[in-house]
Amino acid sequence: MELESNYEIRRVADFIRSNYFTRVALQFPDELLKDSMRVVKALRQELSSSVKLYVMADTTYGSCCVDEVGAAHVNAECVIHYGHTCLSPTSRLPALFIFGKASISTSNCARNVLSHGLKSGKPVLVLFGLEYAHAIPDIREELARNASSLSGSTSMVEYFYADVSCSVVNPSETSKPANQLGLVDSEVVNGCLTEETSQNYSMGGLSWRLPKGRNMEEYLLFWIGMDNPAFANLALTFNSCEIVRYDATEDSLMTDVSQQTKILKRRYYLVQKAKDANMVGILVGTLGVAGYLHIIHQMRELVTKAGKKSYTFVMGRPNPAKLANFPECDVFINVSCAQTALLDSKEFFAPVITPFEAMLAFERGSQWTGAYVLEFPELISSTPSVVREESEEARFSFLQGGYVEDLDLRDNEEVEKDGMSALVNATEKALQVRDEDSQSLTKSIPKSGAEYLARRSYQGLDIKESNSLPQKFLSGRSGKASGYKHEKRNGN
Amino acid sequence: MVKFTSDELRRIMDYKHNIRNMSVIAHVDHGKSTLTDSLVAAAGIIAQEAAGDVRMTDTRADEAERGITIKSTGISLYYEMTDASLGSYKGERNGNEYLINLIDSPGHVDFSSEVTAALRITDGALVVVDCVEGVCVQTETVLRQALGERIRPVLTVNKMDRCFLELQVDGEEAYQTFQRVIENANVIMATYEDPLLGDVQVYPEKGTVAFSAGLHGWAFTLTNFAKMYASKFGVDQSKMMERLWGENFFDPSTKKWTTKNTGSPTCKRGFVQFCYEPIKQIINTCMNDQKDKLWPMLQKLGVTMKSDEKELMGKALMKRVMQTWLPASTALLEMMIYHLPSPATAQRYRVENLYEGPLDDAYANAIRNCDPEGPLMLYVSKMIPASDKGRFFAFGRVFAGKVSTGLKVRIMGPNYIPGQKKDLYVKSVQRTVIWMGKRQETVEDVPCGNTVAMVGLDQFITKNATLTNEKEVDAHPIKAMKFSVSPVVRVAVQCKVASDLPKLVEGLKRLAKSDPMVLCSIEESGEHIVAGAGELHLEICLKDLQDDFMGGAEIIKSDPVVSFRETVLERSSRTVMSKSPNKHNRLYMEARPLEDGLAEAIDDGRIGPRDDPKNRSKILAEEFGWDKELAKKIWAFGPETTGPNMVVDMCKGVQYLNEIKDSVVAGFQWASKEGPLAEENMRGICFEVCDVVLHTDAIHRGGGQVIPTARRVIYASHITAKPRLLEPVYMVEIQAPEQALGGIYSVLNQKRGHVFEEMQRPGTPLYNIKAYLPVVESFGFSSTLRAATSGQAFPQCVFDHWDMMSSDPLEAGSQAANLVADIRKRKGLKEQMTPLSEFEDRL
Repeated sequence: MELESNYEIRRVADFIRSNYFTRVALQFPDELLKDSMRVVKALRQELSSSVKLYVMADTTYGSCCVDEVGAAHVNAECVIHYGHTCLSPTSRLPALFIFGKASISTSNCARNVLSHGLKSGKPVLVLFGLEYAHAIPDIREELARNASSLSGSTSMVEYFYADVSCSVVNPSETSKPANQLGLVDSEVVNGCLTEETSQNYSMGGLSWRLPKGRNMEEYLLFWIGMDNPAFANLALTFNSCEIVRYDATEDSLMTDVSQQTKILKRRYYLVQKAKDANMVGILVGTLGVAGYLHIIHQMRELVTKAGKKSYTFVMGRPNPAKLANFPECDVFINVSCAQTALLDSKEFFAPVITPFEAMLAFERGSQWTGAYVLEFPELISSTPSVVREESEEARFSFLQGGYVEDLDLRDNEEVEKDGMSALVNATEKALQVRDEDSQSLTKSIPKSGAEYLARRSYQGLDIKESNSLPQKFLSGRSGKASGYKHEKRNGN
Repeated sequence: MVKFTSDELRRIMDYKHNIRNMSVIAHVDHGKSTLTDSLVAAAGIIAQEAAGDVRMTDTRADEAERGITIKSTGISLYYEMTDASLGSYKGERNGNEYLINLIDSPGHVDFSSEVTAALRITDGALVVVDCVEGVCVQTETVLRQALGERIRPVLTVNKMDRCFLELQVDGEEAYQTFQRVIENANVIMATYEDPLLGDVQVYPEKGTVAFSAGLHGWAFTLTNFAKMYASKFGVDQSKMMERLWGENFFDPSTKKWTTKNTGSPTCKRGFVQFCYEPIKQIINTCMNDQKDKLWPMLQKLGVTMKSDEKELMGKALMKRVMQTWLPASTALLEMMIYHLPSPATAQRYRVENLYEGPLDDAYANAIRNCDPEGPLMLYVSKMIPASDKGRFFAFGRVFAGKVSTGLKVRIMGPNYIPGQKKDLYVKSVQRTVIWMGKRQETVEDVPCGNTVAMVGLDQFITKNATLTNEKEVDAHPIKAMKFSVSPVVRVAVQCKVASDLPKLVEGLKRLAKSDPMVLCSIEESGEHIVAGAGELHLEICLKDLQDDFMGGAEIIKSDPVVSFRETVLERSSRTVMSKSPNKHNRLYMEARPLEDGLAEAIDDGRIGPRDDPKNRSKILAEEFGWDKELAKKIWAFGPETTGPNMVVDMCKGVQYLNEIKDSVVAGFQWASKEGPLAEENMRGICFEVCDVVLHTDAIHRGGGQVIPTARRVIYASHITAKPRLLEPVYMVEIQAPEQALGGIYSVLNQKRGHVFEEMQRPGTPLYNIKAYLPVVESFGFSSTLRAATSGQAFPQCVFDHWDMMSSDPLEAGSQAANLVADIRKRKGLKEQMTPLSEFEDRL
């Protein structure tokens, strides 16, 4: 039965039974929602009636993350997450991830891996979308068979495979206070990425191990799966590696990843642009991924240290219309799981950047050497523990082609000390400035929300309206917004 | 053989009446640097013999190689006047010692930003004109710039040696040529009537014109000869000078002066008789090695030669003799000291041009009086690379007060606004340095009226800045320089090895500093862009970037890229409407082209957001035929709040309109920066808000709803108004002999250029051609032209205007459409333009 295998009904039931969960939330992405009732029905048959099942859909943030807040509404004890996932660690609830099983021709895939591996001569590292995890053992086997049949004629090409780290995420391992988590993880991650001794890598739920003394650059990355955020993240993170993508649905090989380098360049531009920002909005893009609070605090601190003003927004999934409601922000930092963090900002009024990019932008003296980090634990660890020595040089802005210094840093620290009065001061200052040139069409650049408001030509309802008499009753428009009644007539 | 020490120099720096700050300006290849050499020779830094060959001020290897000056270089010279020559000097002075701060500037139009920077810190200019080629386009440009800055000019007619050796023209013909050169220069100068500066035209009979041969190191003014003859004829020196120029003729047979040629064969013009002929005679005698004749002649002139010099032959002998008889330095330096203003004099009238703040505050007064005890006012006009890699000297002029080693200064950058903290730093000067050719000398302090280089400020100044004392918080900055060229040619650069990116970033930073004009920026696509005034300029910049500023790390540069502008041809064919994302708000808009000349007026700053609205509506009404009421309803200029596009409110009686003004303006700023065709800037478009329908609840008509809608409706109105591309166009001036004309015309035709003026230079076989040439076509233009004319034509290109491309970018396959597709591809956009239906909504 397809439903049974695709949704792994038996495994889910076993998981629930073995942990004695009684309230279980089933989280479906939009595209799988149509199957939800059948899945529930199938599970019902397996489980005793004491277990309550809840279907969750339309998650506030990306559907790849576990919606812990949603689950908390029904006091669920665990979440079963279906479909594509980023496998970000959860902070409160245990979760079981069911990736689903996408169909793939193992022989075609293996042939492609083999032929491409031979062509490049580099050792091949096979990575894959989680929906293809089920087929990997088969591919592996196939490949070994093919390779041995060819081994007489060719030199040895090494093959490495990534593993799915774990499809069950238990918060007990990671639910320590966030800052402690940072420390623990930092040791591990530092070991992984910067030192040569241990060679563990992990990303988007995959983990792999390389022999000592080898760099990622020496490998050919072979990605099996679609061109989705997971792949984009891979391409960004390992932007100096050669990457090919095998599309299983179309059974074709894509070797041209120039689009990815374009994205990287574009991100670089956004970082430069963020450097010029005066006001920064921090978007809370997740309430589930472990360490998100820590990152938000870290970002806030970073922004303040850079002499800029930060505002934190919780608005669910960001879209251009939502963000444009805050035109005072010059840039937004999207704190979310790795796979929803990259937003193409062309349509947005202000650029949206990731926390890593924010670190590049707001930390003095930091330079982009090509490395790219998206996952929280690595980000937390990459903050320098010692305060970097203030670089003497003024900041050079490539957008303006010269040195700029937006704020006197020392001055700003003083302002921060007496929080509330600072706002008043800033408002006053802004008001003065406005008075001076209320006649002209340009005004100085605002440095806080209060100053921005003062700069606006419209600042809200005018209470001092001189005419206090009640106004005459007028009849308004009637009809629908798509065309009011009187307009319909005009239009036709 | 240094004749003077830095201590000596420092001492004269305090005598503000005995200082002359001057720049040498001219067309390319008219002999500025060579002439400067002869002056430097007089101050004793290089040997007299080598003058003319060394090009002291061309300090860079590539300058020497190409034989052109690229960077302007400053030199401080020391000169002692004799009492006799100062006899009739009326101005204030302090002893006979003079300090001349000289700046040699490049002549090629691509580097004219260097000239601008040089002019700012000088008070006088020595205009060098080739006596054969005459006043050329660049002479005119720099002269206009000088006069705009209230710089007093003196002229030297250079390359006199060509008259004697190469062309061998007779006296009268030479006189006519010189007369014409001077007249041409005076025509330009006459247009700058300025009561404060007085008459700026130059007259040989007043001593403000010199005649020089830079290559041979000799020069004279009529003063030299007048002095010589005054005693002989027993007349006053000034009287004699008048006789040596203009319609004054002398007949040796009758020994009579007349005001017109008597027709007698011995009757000659005074200039020819007494100046030209004697020189010609000496030169010929030397060239023919008629030494037996030469020595008595020299003796008569009072010229004594050293014995070893007497052994010289031919040209070398001639050079030596002429240098001894009529040393260039004496003639030119004395002319400058006599006729160019001292800082004390010049700053009195220049303060208006210089100071941005109120002209009656302490700082303006200190500048006006050139007060060494006043507050420091120093303008840094350029950054000069220092010998230790990556560091720069801040080079500028002290207008008031004193700058000293260790002084804490307030650095006001170009974006500084008094009362705010933006672009403001307080740092201390590590060292003050003065320039002596290739050497720098550290001095304790430098008082006002002098040029100075400072160490330790380069990390806070990009290109220029105003410095004042730490405590002077009320000081306004000195006005920014206005360049006559703009960076229209751009290339994208990237490093060959990705990990060199920090090097590239650092290198670009330094490049931006090292040149007054170059612009280092970043594109939306993440590419680093270097923009310069022309092909040559860019070439030099990129070479500097790679070799000097990036330590040789390899870079890849793209083909030159030209930025376009997007405009409209007509008014929108209909009023277009866009709905907000929630469908509850609607904006109606129309686009129309701005009136002719209005975009340029905005560019020039005649009309802008900072104007008094009354003034603005007056100009708009009177010059551009706007309705006075409408002129008051301009909401904004854009892009960047100052650009040549506008959004105007045409609504009548709309509720809540004031509420969405900020949002519409924000959307307009965004849209005008990235037009709908190829995301290039818009230009010359007026967007009229015709009507709006808004939701009654404020929450549903916030920025989030209105900003994206405003952008969309602007795009829609743009597309419906016959959008067009504007391309930048150079004005090209070419000077060439008649036989090269055919080649020039064919190259121009091939490159879509067209000639709008062709003129023969009177008295020469040379033609002057002025043409318009699209910047896109200009790459490789000069080399093609050189090939087609066997090297006889040398073009000077300068950005002139934006020209509308006639083809319709919306029509598939047209030239403009292809161009749009190319730009979009380069920028990484979808190749297909977004269709109108994406922007416009219907009821």
